[in-house]
Amino acid sequence: MENEDRSVLEIKDLYVQYNTDDAVVHAVNGLNLTLKEGEKLGLVGETGAGKTTLALSILKLLPDKVGEIHSGSIVYKGEDLVDKPESYMLGLRGHRISMIFQDPMTSLNPTKNVGDQVLEVINLHFPELSSAEKAAKVDEMFRLVGIPASRKGEFPHQFSGGMKQRIVIAMALIAEPELLLADEPTTALDVTIQAQILELMRKLKEEFNSAVVLITHDLGVVAEFCDTVSVIYSGRVVEHGTVEQIFEGEDNHPYTKGLIHCIPSLSDTSKRLQPIPGRMPDPRNLPEGCCFADRCPFCREKCKTSMPEPHEKDGHMILCHLYDPKEDGNA
Amino acid sequence: MPEDNTKPIVEAVNLCKYFKTPKGQLHAVEDVSFKLFSGKTLGVVGESGCGKSTLGRTILRLQPATSGEVRYEGENILKYNRKEMRKVQQNMQMIFQDPYSSLDPRMSIRGLITEPLEVQGAMKKMSASEEKDRVTEIMEMCGLPKYYNNLYPHELDGGMRQRVGLARAMILDPKFIVCDEPVSALDVSIQAQILNLLLDLQEKHELSYMFITHDLAVVKYISDVIMVMYMGQVVEMAESSELFMHPLHPYTRALLNSIPTIDLSRRNRERITIKGEVSSPINPAPGCRFAQRCPYATEACKQNQCLKEVGPGHFAACIEGAV
Amino acid sequence: MAIFKKKTKKPLSEYSTGELILFRFKKNKLAMIGVAMFMFVTIMILIAPLIRPYSMVIKQDIVHRLNPPSKEHIFGTDELGRDLLARILYGGRISLFCSLAIIGIAFVTGAIIGGTAGFFGGKVDTILMRIVDMLMSVPSALLAMAIITALGNGVWKLVLALSIGQIARFARMVRSSVLTLRNREYIEAAKCFGSSSWRIIMKHILPNGIGPIIVSATLTLGAVILSISSMGYLGLGVASPTPEWGTIISENKVNIQYFPYLGVIPGICIMLTVMSVNFIGDGLRDAFDPKSKR
Repeated sequence: MENEDRSVLEIKDLYVQYNTDDAVVHAVNGLNLTLKEGEKLGLVGETGAGKTTLALSILKLLPDKVGEIHSGSIVYKGEDLVDKPESYMLGLRGHRISMIFQDPMTSLNPTKNVGDQVLEVINLHFPELSSAEKAAKVDEMFRLVGIPASRKGEFPHQFSGGMKQRIVIAMALIAEPELLLADEPTTALDVTIQAQILELMRKLKEEFNSAVVLITHDLGVVAEFCDTVSVIYSGRVVEHGTVEQIFEGEDNHPYTKGLIHCIPSLSDTSKRLQPIPGRMPDPRNLPEGCCFADRCPFCREKCKTSMPEPHEKDGHMILCHLYDPKEDGNA
Repeated sequence: MPEDNTKPIVEAVNLCKYFKTPKGQLHAVEDVSFKLFSGKTLGVVGESGCGKSTLGRTILRLQPATSGEVRYEGENILKYNRKEMRKVQQNMQMIFQDPYSSLDPRMSIRGLITEPLEVQGAMKKMSASEEKDRVTEIMEMCGLPKYYNNLYPHELDGGMRQRVGLARAMILDPKFIVCDEPVSALDVSIQAQILNLLLDLQEKHELSYMFITHDLAVVKYISDVIMVMYMGQVVEMAESSELFMHPLHPYTRALLNSIPTIDLSRRNRERITIKGEVSSPINPAPGCRFAQRCPYATEACKQNQCLKEVGPGHFAACIEGAV
Repeated sequence: MAIFKKKTKKPLSEYSTGELILFRFKKNKLAMIGVAMFMFVTIMILIAPLIRPYSMVIKQDIVHRLNPPSKEHIFGTDELGRDLLARILYGGRISLFCSLAIIGIAFVTGAIIGGTAGFFGGKVDTILMRIVDMLMSVPSALLAMAIITALGNGVWKLVLALSIGQIARFARMVRSSVLTLRNREYIEAAKCFGSSSWRIIMKHILPNGIGPIIVSATLTLGAVILSISSMGYLGLGVASPTPEWGTIISENKVNIQYFPYLGVIPGICIMLTVMSVNFIGDGLRDAFDPKSKR
């Protein structure tokens, strides 16, 4: 029980779909996830795996009328968010759960100076502070993210991409959230700037001790930043474990293995990459069995017809028939 | 760099490209020289705004160069008239970064692939069946199923679109292709497919690539020689493995150190994060353009720096602080 | 048996782009209704001499003035006893063909000016667009009046005068769409394998930028029909007794309150024509866009 008390976020059997005119798009299909206090979880997957949908579901920001949480539960600190009203979510968003989006330009208002934009967040969450205290808090936040407070009066377009992302981070962290969802926060940035931002997030995480969910397609970023990793494929977590288990362990989901083989290595040379053939199944028309079956080199009859059960060992979960203990252990 | 007795297929000599901006002259490409040999790949890496894309476009004359020469098989193509240029264009093609905006949405896949033939007048010399065979051959070569013929770009995913872009470039049977970030917009599994396809085509057709990217792992995988650019200048150039094993320029070292990898042993490495950001080279002062961010910068850096050969085939503008 | 064999259907991948556009256009019900309506209006206007002789347009019959629709006068008669049907049939010739000509001239000239300005940019752009600004700064009605006064009355002079007023908006529209398309990578790709500027404009920029322009052209048609009539009302261009839909409405405006059919019938004619052209325009836009549903 003690373990459960410490979990910040617990997602169980979540199904999310988009009801479009033509078809039902199954974006998240029975996803399970647990996030402990102060944990840095990396959520890795390719385009269309359902990463962003998951983040939007947690905040209940799915597009109106189209996006729908079909079933499952999202328990945040003991409260199921799925049936909470909008008014409850308003108190949560930005205050206890914050989100950083991929494109910093879209999350900043181009017609307001950045100081005022940060101040606005403070006004919203700390209305009780005096204006001097608020101003001090803004300055403090600017210092933390490494922007001189003298640039407070400037407008978003006067900042570079990396600087803008720092401001977005400042806005996300100012209310000291317990949970930070970062959706591809460094994808639009150059490597040297990415290194700066990751360093900053690492530092601020120590300061505020928030739990972080880092959504990315870049395995390298996950290996650098996270403690645990969930690999998402077709709206399911196909593997979950610590970074060591995922990147250095022997047993991996075939998809994870495939992904790792796809990345050109910096250390050894002249080895051809082994791409994963084919592509992700159409989320409008999911296969009956394992979603990865079509692309999997170890695919057997069984994989095409039945969904694998999760197999867990020392907190390392793999969703694959290969690791089925009932099978003759040739895995 | 390989010995000089073989003739390079593409060569740039002191190539410069300046843009006029309201704030002054933007030195997007400054004094770049390189030699590219047949069947080899030159990787160009750098952060956004370092002039790498401009360099690629200037070499193909999509933008007029300010000064310098671009030689194709020894001849300066910047002096060519339109007719000569069109002829040489058959041998020099380009593939683009954005698989969404590089294909005309109003044209079918077949139309897109045959367009270069049409423009170059090659269609007139071909019979309908010859032309059809050629398209089928190219599509197969680039891994495009036949039924794609009459589909439109929006019906394909990023990887397949990039294959169409490659097929369009390949149909004229070029010898040199500028690849401008061709895999940056793709997922890793698709990226690996395209990279392997590029390598296969290179082996089969003796292609030379100029591969422009910001992704160092990709550039290492595909290139023979790598050129690192910073604010329009080449700061270091060496053979791929040499550059990654012995990076000399402070910028190259910081860049290599910044790459996140899945190698967990690097997690606790000493991090060289360089401060500040790239500014744009508008009316740049002489001297090292990296000096503002460089931890080793001294007064001497305000003097003009040029690329020096520091090892066999290894050129660097500065080796301050290298081990 | 062979007679009953259905025409073999080609697989979708065998169709050419042109066939696909036609196919998509034909599948659009609203567009086909538009085509039918437009054909109906055009045919009626063309076969007008078979229905009513031209003499009835001007023949005045004070005894039968302001007769409501009846067997003899299907659309009734106006205040001078002229047959409304005849006036509408012959009036349609001027309204429809002049407005189409005006749109056509304005569209082509505007596209050339705007396209050149947008594609080449720089000084060419500045000079051309300042000329367009000059055109725009003069109210189009005033401009048309000035031109007609200078050139003298006449249908073709009216067409010329009104189309000059419309050039500016088309030029602006084409320029802005060219500007957004000019920097697309596919334009660069086309330059890369040696396409000429002309080919790039015709093959890549025009097909991609034309959708909204066609729609706007069809919407302008209604306004143009009305401006022909307001010119006519001022005694410029088409003047009474030569009929024209707008003129018909304006010459009967005093009596519309008690004899509403005098306004309703020509009004419906204008509405049907404008609507049919709008439907066709929408259909064309969708047909040219491969992203629209098949």
